[in-house]
Amino acid sequence: MKRLLEVRDVSLRFGGITAVDHVSLDVFDGEAVGLIGSNGAGKTTLFRLIAGELALSGGRIQFDASSLPHRPDQRARLGIARTFQLVQLFGGLTVMDHLLVALQAHEGRQGPLRDMIWKGSSTSEEEALCLDTLRMCGLREVADAPATALSLGERRAVELARALVVRPSLLLADEPSSGLDTQEAARLARVIARARAETGLAVLLVEHDLHMVEAIAQRVVAMEAGRVIAEGTFDEVLRDEGVIASWLGRSA
Amino acid sequence: MGEFFGYVLASIPYGCAFSLVAVGLVLTYRATGVFNFAFAAEAYAATVIYSELISHGIERGWAAIIVVCLIAPAFGASLDFALFSRVPPNNRTAKTIMALGLMVVLPQIVQTAVPNTPLAPPAPFFSTSFRPVWRFGQDLVTGSQICEVLGTVLVLVGLMMLLRNRRFGLPIRAAVESPKLLELSGVDARWVLRFAWMISTALAALAGVLYQPGAATVDPHNYDLLLVASIAAAALAGLRNLPIAVLGGVLLGLAEGLVQGYVPSDSIAYSALVPSLPFLFLLVLLIFHPTLRHLEDTRDPMAAIEPPPPTPAIAMRPPSIDRAIRRLRWPLLGIMVLGVVLLVPSDWTSALTQGAALSIVFLSITLLTGLAGQLSLAQWMFAGIGASTTAQLAGSKHWPILLAALAGSLVAGLAGWIAALPALRLRGLPVALLTLCLALLGDNLLFPTSWVANGSTGIAVPRPSSIFGIDFSSVDSEGFFVLTVVVMLAVAGIVHLLLRGTTGRALTAVDASPVAASASGVQIRRTTVLVFIMSASIAGLGGSFWAMNQQFVSSDSFLYYFGPIYLVVVVAVGATTVEGAITAGMAWALINNAFTNLPSSVGGTQLGSKAFTVILLSFGAFAYARHPEGIVEFVKRRIAMTVFRTAEKRERPLVASVKDA
Repeated sequence: MKRLLEVRDVSLRFGGITAVDHVSLDVFDGEAVGLIGSNGAGKTTLFRLIAGELALSGGRIQFDASSLPHRPDQRARLGIARTFQLVQLFGGLTVMDHLLVALQAHEGRQGPLRDMIWKGSSTSEEEALCLDTLRMCGLREVADAPATALSLGERRAVELARALVVRPSLLLADEPSSGLDTQEAARLARVIARARAETGLAVLLVEHDLHMVEAIAQRVVAMEAGRVIAEGTFDEVLRDEGVIASWLGRSA
Repeated sequence: MGEFFGYVLASIPYGCAFSLVAVGLVLTYRATGVFNFAFAAEAYAATVIYSELISHGIERGWAAIIVVCLIAPAFGASLDFALFSRVPPNNRTAKTIMALGLMVVLPQIVQTAVPNTPLAPPAPFFSTSFRPVWRFGQDLVTGSQICEVLGTVLVLVGLMMLLRNRRFGLPIRAAVESPKLLELSGVDARWVLRFAWMISTALAALAGVLYQPGAATVDPHNYDLLLVASIAAAALAGLRNLPIAVLGGVLLGLAEGLVQGYVPSDSIAYSALVPSLPFLFLLVLLIFHPTLRHLEDTRDPMAAIEPPPPTPAIAMRPPSIDRAIRRLRWPLLGIMVLGVVLLVPSDWTSALTQGAALSIVFLSITLLTGLAGQLSLAQWMFAGIGASTTAQLAGSKHWPILLAALAGSLVAGLAGWIAALPALRLRGLPVALLTLCLALLGDNLLFPTSWVANGSTGIAVPRPSSIFGIDFSSVDSEGFFVLTVVVMLAVAGIVHLLLRGTTGRALTAVDASPVAASASGVQIRRTTVLVFIMSASIAGLGGSFWAMNQQFVSSDSFLYYFGPIYLVVVVAVGATTVEGAITAGMAWALINNAFTNLPSSVGGTQLGSKAFTVILLSFGAFAYARHPEGIVEFVKRRIAMTVFRTAEKRERPLVASVKDA
């Protein structure tokens, strides 16, 4: 299997605090990797480093065997999509518009000059692709509703649809089940599984809900205090003494 | 050394006043989330009232106490009650807009209420102690200087102790993060915020009583330096740290005093450096101060419980009404233009032409503020750059005037690009401050030069003589009106395409969540720069047509304070639609014309012009507080709701179509 994401010896320091400490991990093409750890372990910070929102203090990150560009938008157009721990929607836009923004940015069909020559409206292919994605995420009925007027479960689904509409190679999903009930979380897990099956999408999933991690991830990486402390299958990691000590505060 | 000491002594009043206002700015911002652009205006108002009280025989000390301890706190409380408390806590744009409105309208109210202004600057309330206390060579330390320093220090120390106090200071500091969370803790946040307003307005009044602007008259524009220097001092403190704000105020006061002392007053460096020193200082801070770049990052954790903004009218309208609007808008517009050409008296044609030209400038605000969410106070300066370039090229180089106007638009676009580069690092309030700085620099450095607007002497601006046999050159020419309307419609069409196209969606996304927009692949830098350039170009084009209509342009044509005025007017009427900008431009020109033509028996031109500004801006600020979506959008929604309810009563199929919409 081809190595899609290669994180090598990555560190990030904020003044005297080391938030990510010499972390290395790989995500292979089409693979789903779960990233678990207690709050403050450095999972979201690692996501932000991969997405380009923070600059590395040390190490390197390669995507598809190439160095990554600096800016998040450049990385997004390469095929790295992400969702957020706290839902980030575009107030004032409909659900459909959310997907169009991402899709047109990805295709390079965005800009004032294009709008001025009457090429700013969406094409029928774009709309069909957006509707397909909305259908997959269970949002077809609310396509024209303002996204911020939806329930939390639907909002998380909108974020996921916005990420999936560009058919990314890698999805960085940051606690997608946060704040959701069991049924909503299960539905979101099914959407991610279906997207993986249909498009060969690789997923790096940060999650506290271990049921979701077990349902999606083929491999799990555990972090603590900015370091990787265990790596393996779901069962192997949960049996790891270091992980147990980290989560329960005692050795097994 | 003696000379140096003399200059330092001379700078003491400046430093004290800068410090007081800077502390007031930081305090208001930290406690209420409002960056009070109106501080200098409040200081000016306090000076006028202080002077009026003295002229009515009240002793100086009592006059100062009445102004600082009674009138100013009452005014601060009423500002909070009538305006700022009515804005949702998380709507920082609305708060900034209202502070800008207040900055403009307050001096106008004072000048209308006290028609004999400008007055001679009143002496400080301790003027009886002007006698020298110490003598250092040729320099004297007077009792008033000691009083100024001691008074300022006492007030600031008292204020800091108050803020550190658990009972008073803690709620004030908590209120800025989230008034609702504070209320959940059992504290009445309304009174905490009102108390902060009372204190900060009292500080502005104290600065007004102390500050001597160094001019022979009390004119609101003599307080510009106080405003910008205080903003710079507050910016140095990252709008957080009160002692650094005090230090910044003192340092800027010293810098002003030393520059005025050491640089020869007849040199070019003096005329360029003295007025622009605080602006340059603020400009550097805005670009490089890390705290200022992240000012708008914090959000009220309870913001989610605020009701969502009202649904746009366009989403509520039945499709049948949309179709009718699409079919009828061009015929109706044609009838209106024809009506103006055939029926409107010629002395109103010029006003309508001015309205169309202003509408073009206002469309640039729609693009930048309505679409990108950036508060630019420099749009009128870009209009001035376009107009001056047009005038220079058509006058000195004998270019055809329409070609010159096009070149003016391009040069303004270039200026917009230069402004966009530092603005890329900023969002929200810092952009407003940056553009205010640029507008003030334009006022002080750019337009007075002979190669731009040629100072107050100005430059004549020709009109196109004729196209296809239609005469444009005569005063009140209907032909020029039609030409301006055609250009306005073309610009409106472009802005409409941007609003509805990929740019509109992308910029709405960036405004709502830059991090998510970037993660979705939106090129924030490129899109923002292009929008800045296009917005400045449109403003430049509008300025050129405005100047052609006036047939004259000078440094007085594009004074900086029109930037905030026009911004307030456009957002109050509606900054998110092209019809909002056009309505604002036309309304401004027509109402202005109506007021300035008031007969002398009811006040004449002078009163009319001021009353016009006061009424329009007060109305705008109040309307914006209640309806941040703008008056046009509010009216459209009301009409849509009325149609909806009428249809619902009659149980027509329209209801279903509205629900679908």
